[in-house]
Amino acid sequence: MKALCPVIAAALVGLCVVAPAWAHITPPVVLVSDRDAVVSLLAGARRFFVREVRLTAAEKQTIRQATAWNPEDDFYRFYIGRDDQGRVVAATVFLTEFTIHGPVRVAAALGPDGKVKGATVVELTEETYPWIKPLLDRNFTRDYVGRDARGTFAVSAGGGDSMAQFYGEVVASLIRRAAALYEIAVIKRGDAA
Amino acid sequence: MNGFRLSALPLSAKVFCTLFLVGIGCGALAAFVQASTAVGLSPAAVEASLAREMPMTQMQMHHGQMSGEKEITLGDISSAAKVWIRTPLLIQTSHTHLFGQTLIAGLLGLIFLFASVRESVKTLIVALPFAGTLLDIGGMWLTRFVSPSLSLLVIAGGSLFALGYALIAVIALYDLWLRKERLA
Repeated sequence: MKALCPVIAAALVGLCVVAPAWAHITPPVVLVSDRDAVVSLLAGARRFFVREVRLTAAEKQTIRQATAWNPEDDFYRFYIGRDDQGRVVAATVFLTEFTIHGPVRVAAALGPDGKVKGATVVELTEETYPWIKPLLDRNFTRDYVGRDARGTFAVSAGGGDSMAQFYGEVVASLIRRAAALYEIAVIKRGDAA
Repeated sequence: MNGFRLSALPLSAKVFCTLFLVGIGCGALAAFVQASTAVGLSPAAVEASLAREMPMTQMQMHHGQMSGEKEITLGDISSAAKVWIRTPLLIQTSHTHLFGQTLIAGLLGLIFLFASVRESVKTLIVALPFAGTLLDIGGMWLTRFVSPSLSLLVIAGGSLFALGYALIAVIALYDLWLRKERLA
């Protein structure tokens, strides 16, 4: 039995190491499908389009300066809703921030004038969900409706809950990025109509 | 191994090994359910979650093109609340799973080293969870960056890990509780 002690000790050390390794990121929580997010954010649209854009180096630089965000994706996809006459009702884009607790994915809808028409949190993680739930229950993304990329996207979580405040700011920042992206990659190119 | 056999362990060590094997089995079952609900268990589902997002418009054909637009129906947009694993999440998943699964494979192997089976069989079985882990995580990266069709490797890797666990658990539990010690 004595000779087995090192083996058992090694096993216990191994077990101790496994636990924190798995504690890094909790499983994802998908709150709404992409289709449902698009349908609700483009309410009133009769026809749907996808518009995909690649950013030029200058556009990336402009967005970086405006939002402190580095847009690195190969391309960005907007779901555009139009009415019967072909006029743009709104465009929805999905953006994700990878935090230490896992991804936070948001869908934001922008009007043809570049102002936020609505936004919804699409995906987060089991760990972040309880932190942000009080804000979701309050429908806090409604606060940003009518703001464009130059507007303020402050969050008031209330009650001194720092994690709610932090993740509220992550969501607000994603909505602001969406507004900046739409303004630079669609409106300024003259493609908003 | 070196005179130690699972069947000869004292009761406390047998209980320890048994509970460890049962606990890992429950964890593996939970992981299986999690994978099936969050991603799916078919190569197509794995491909949909892992493969690089391709443009839906003509940008796909013309790489220099800066924008493209195309009319779609709502049916073209995913209605499943599925997780799409992007590269940063793939990095996070890889490092946690490589550490976690390798350590579990190591601990399973540690128990199995004392099983009373032929050395060649032991060598093969002890390697299965390690090989499964590497195939599983490696398959994720290959699906993303080499070819979506390699999503099959992720399924194969997960199955290999499960097969390794099942063989180790069954043989080890048999040795621990049912195998009779031969008197010399």
